[in-house]
Amino acid sequence: MRIQLFATCLVDSLFPEVGEAVVEVLTRAGVETWFPPGQTCCGQPALNAGSRAEARRLALHTLEALAAEDVVVVPSGSCSQMIRHHYPELLADQPEELERARRLADRTFEFSEFLVDQLLVADLEASLPLVIGYHPSCHLLRGLGVDRQPLRLLEGIDGASIERLSPECCGFGGLFSVEMPEISREMLERTLERIRNSGVELVAGCDVSCLMQIEGGLRRTGSPVRCSHLAQLLAGREAGLK
Amino acid sequence: MTLAFRQRARRAIADPQLQRLLDQNADARQRARMEALQELPEAGDLRQRARSIRQQVVFGLEAYLELFGSRLADNGVQLRRAADAAEANRLILEIVRSHKANLVAKSKSMLTEELGVNAALEAAGVRAIETDLGEYIVQLRGEKPAHIMTPALHLSTEQVAETFRSQLGAVLSDDAEQINAEVRSRLREVFLTTPVGITGVNFGVAETGTLCLVTNEGNGRMVATLPPVHIAVMGIERLVPTLDDLAVMLQLLPRFATGQSISSYVSLIHGPRRPGDPEGPAERYLVLVDNGRSRVAETAAAEALLCIRCGSCLNACPIFREAGGHAYDSVYSGPIGSVLSPALFGLQKYGHLAQASTLCGACMEACPVGIDIPGLLLDVRARSELKPLERGIRLFSWVAKSPTRFRWAQRAAALGGRLLARRAGWITQLPGPFAEWTRFRDFPQFSTRPLRSRLRKVRRPAADRRPELEPRVETPAAPVETLTPGQRTDQFEARLKDLGGEVIRCAELEAADRIVGQLYVLGASRLLSWGPVEPILFTVLQRLEQEGFPVVLPEVPDGPQRTQSLRDFGEVQVGLTGAVAAFADTGTVVLSGSSRRSLLPSLLPETHLAVVRSKDVYPDLAGWLTAGGSGYVAGTSNLVLISGPSRTADIEMTLTVGVHGPRQLVVFLIE
Repeated sequence: MRIQLFATCLVDSLFPEVGEAVVEVLTRAGVETWFPPGQTCCGQPALNAGSRAEARRLALHTLEALAAEDVVVVPSGSCSQMIRHHYPELLADQPEELERARRLADRTFEFSEFLVDQLLVADLEASLPLVIGYHPSCHLLRGLGVDRQPLRLLEGIDGASIERLSPECCGFGGLFSVEMPEISREMLERTLERIRNSGVELVAGCDVSCLMQIEGGLRRTGSPVRCSHLAQLLAGREAGLK
Repeated sequence: MTLAFRQRARRAIADPQLQRLLDQNADARQRARMEALQELPEAGDLRQRARSIRQQVVFGLEAYLELFGSRLADNGVQLRRAADAAEANRLILEIVRSHKANLVAKSKSMLTEELGVNAALEAAGVRAIETDLGEYIVQLRGEKPAHIMTPALHLSTEQVAETFRSQLGAVLSDDAEQINAEVRSRLREVFLTTPVGITGVNFGVAETGTLCLVTNEGNGRMVATLPPVHIAVMGIERLVPTLDDLAVMLQLLPRFATGQSISSYVSLIHGPRRPGDPEGPAERYLVLVDNGRSRVAETAAAEALLCIRCGSCLNACPIFREAGGHAYDSVYSGPIGSVLSPALFGLQKYGHLAQASTLCGACMEACPVGIDIPGLLLDVRARSELKPLERGIRLFSWVAKSPTRFRWAQRAAALGGRLLARRAGWITQLPGPFAEWTRFRDFPQFSTRPLRSRLRKVRRPAADRRPELEPRVETPAAPVETLTPGQRTDQFEARLKDLGGEVIRCAELEAADRIVGQLYVLGASRLLSWGPVEPILFTVLQRLEQEGFPVVLPEVPDGPQRTQSLRDFGEVQVGLTGAVAAFADTGTVVLSGSSRRSLLPSLLPETHLAVVRSKDVYPDLAGWLTAGGSGYVAGTSNLVLISGPSRTADIEMTLTVGVHGPRQLVVFLIE
C-alpha cells in the first residue's frame, strides 16, 4: 500500500522528528510513504479565528496539494478533523470542490486510526519500560471518536504500562493560548497537576499542538516528564518531542 | 470587547473561593451526569430521538405553535403572545394589574431573567419574590444568577448564611439545613398569600396543550397551584409535538442537569381549576415569548434553539470552570450562552464570547440533544467583526498558500529562534504578540531542517492501484430489557429508596391498619387527606372517624377565606393520598388533582403518605402513556409526578430535603 503523508505545519516546522518517526513506523508496517511537496497548513488557524475566506483558500490549496488518489495519513487528530469535517462544510456551495473535498475526507486518516483500523496493526514491536500517560486530545477524541486505537498501539509497547489521562482540554486551543492566556494557563496547570498526581513518566499523544503546550509547561515547571508523539514511541525514540 | 470577558475571568481566577466552588460544581455535576447515564443503556438512542424531536419543532415552529395555541384554548388557558421583552413585560403587568395584585411569587425561570420581568414589575410598584432557593439568595443579594440551573453557584454556605443574617435579620449558623428551614417558613407565607404566581415552562406539548414544569424544591408546584392566578412564561421554541416526545425529553433533562433520573416534581398542567377541583388557580395564562427566536430560527444559529436549558454544557466547559457565569455578563453563560447571547441579544455586544473557547467539544459531548456548539461558535466568530490577530492570520494564510513562501518563512523563523533559544530546542522568551506564550510555558525552537527538506527525496512512487478501505467502525445500540411485574415493584421500591423515600409493602387487608399505625408513629394530630375514593382510603377514613381522629378534606374556597383556609391546611403535618400510577424506573408516584383528590396533601405537609397498588406500577412514563396514560393525562387539569421528598442542592451542592414540599414521602405498596 502507498500513502501520502500530510505532515501538518507544526510537525513540518517545529517537530520534523515526529514526521520522520511516522515515516519509519509506516515503512515498518509495510506502507510506502511519500511527502506531497505542495502541502503547507490545513487552514485551521484561519477557520478558528473566524476568517472563513482564508480558511477556504487554504482548504483549496490543500485539496490541490493532496490531489493524488492515495490515502492521506495525518499525524494529528485536529488537522484530520479539519480535513474530514470542515473542508466539506467550507466548500458546501462549490459543488465541484465539495465533491473533491468529500473524496479527500473519505481517504484521510489520523495516524493511529490508520494503523489500527485500516492496516489492522496492533503490535509494532517497540519496547519502552516506562509508565506512559496517554493524553486524549479533544479533536481526536470528540471530533473523530478515536480513542481505543492509540491506546491499543501503546499497550502493544513491550514493558510499558499505560494510563489514560483525563480527557480534559489542556488549554491550547490555537489562538486561544495567546488570546486568553490566563485561562489557558489555568487549564494547563490543571493538566500538569493531573500528570503529577498520576505518577506517569512520559506523556504520549497524537497531536503535537497539545503536546507542545503540555511539554512547554512541564519544562517551565522543571518537571522531568516529557511528551512524545505516539509515532516517536512506536519508532523507539527517546522521550521528548524534539 | 474580548478584554471585558478576559478582565472578568482574570478576577474570577484570582478568587480562590470562587475557584473552589466552580471546581466543586464541575466535578460533582459531571460525575453525577456520567453515573446517571451509565444507568441508562439506551441513552445514545434517546439522545438521537430527543434531537430529532427538537429539530421537528424548531424547523416547523409556526405549525406547532398554531396547534399548541388551539389546544391551550380548549384547555381554558389564556394565551398571550409577545414579540419582544417589552411586550412580554407589558402583558404580564396587565394581567397582574387586572387582578389588583401588588405581590407575585415566582419560581425559577431563565426566560423571565432574560426579559427583565422583575425589574418591570418593581418599576410598576409590584413586588416580585423569587422562591427557588438559589434565586431567592441571589435576589436578596441584588445579584444575577451565576448558572442557569444553580443560580447561587458562586456563593459559599457562609456567604449565604451571612446574607440571611444581614438582609433578613435571621438567626442561624453557617449550615445549609438551618438556611433551608428559614427559607421554608419565610416563603411558605408568600405561597399562601400571593395573589399571583409566575413560573417558567420547561416544555410545552403541542398536541395536548400541556405545560410541563420540572422542579425539585416544590416551589414551582406551590406557585402554580396555590394562588388564584398563575402566569406561565415560555419561549416559543420550548415545544415538543406529543406526550410521548415529552417522555423522551424527561428522561434526559434531569440526568443532564443534575444527574437525577427524574426531578422530585414534574407537573403537567392542562388548564385552570375546573368545577369540582378542590384547588387550583381560577385563571391560568401563558405568555408565549418570541424575543428574537423566530429570527434566529432562520439563521445558522437555529440549532441553538434545540437547547433545553439543562446547564450540562456549563458544567462540562473548562472555560466556564475558570471564568464562572458572571464573566459572560449575560443571562445565558457558558458554551451555549456564547452562542445564544450573540444570536438573541446582538453580535455587537456578545460576539466576543465566542472567543472564550478552545473548541474542545466537551460541551457538545455533554449536550442531551447534541447541539454542535463548537460549530456554532465558529460561525459566530466568522460573523463577528472582532477578528483577533486578523492581520497575522492574513499574513500567515498568504505565506501558506505558497510552498516556496512557506519554506522561506520556516527559514526565517528558525533563524530568529536560534537568536532567542536559551535551552536546547526550547525557547523561554518570545517577543511581541508571542510573549504571552512564554509567560508560563516554553516554546519549541523552529527546526533548521524542517520535515519538507528532510523528506525532499521522498516523492510519489510509480502508479499503483487504489487501495480498498476498511469501513469506519460504528457501535451498535444496546438492547433494552423488559421487567416482570415482580421486578417492576422491586425496582420501584429500590429507586424510591435511593431518592430518600420510604416504601412499606403490605397486603390489601392489613393496609388500613398500617396506615393508621403510621399516623401514630409520626405523632400526627390531624390528617390532610383525599376523600374515600377507593377501598383502602375508605377504610382508613372510617377507622379514623371511629377513633375520633381529626381529618381534613381540603377544598380551597374562592374569595377572602382562601388564605385562611390554606394556612389551616398548611398546619396539618401529615397528608394522605392515593395514586393514579407509579413508575419503576424512577420510583415515581403519579397524582392528579380532581374532585376529592386534592394535590394539597402531597404538597403542604411535612410528610406525604401515598397508597400505590402494585398493579399500577408501570415500567416508566413512556410505558404508562402507551398503556392508556396519554388520554388520561390530557384530561386532567393538574397532574404531578412525584419522585421522593422535596429537595435542593442550591447551596454548595449540599443535598437538603423538605425545602418547600414534604420532607418525607412514605409509599404503601399494596401487593
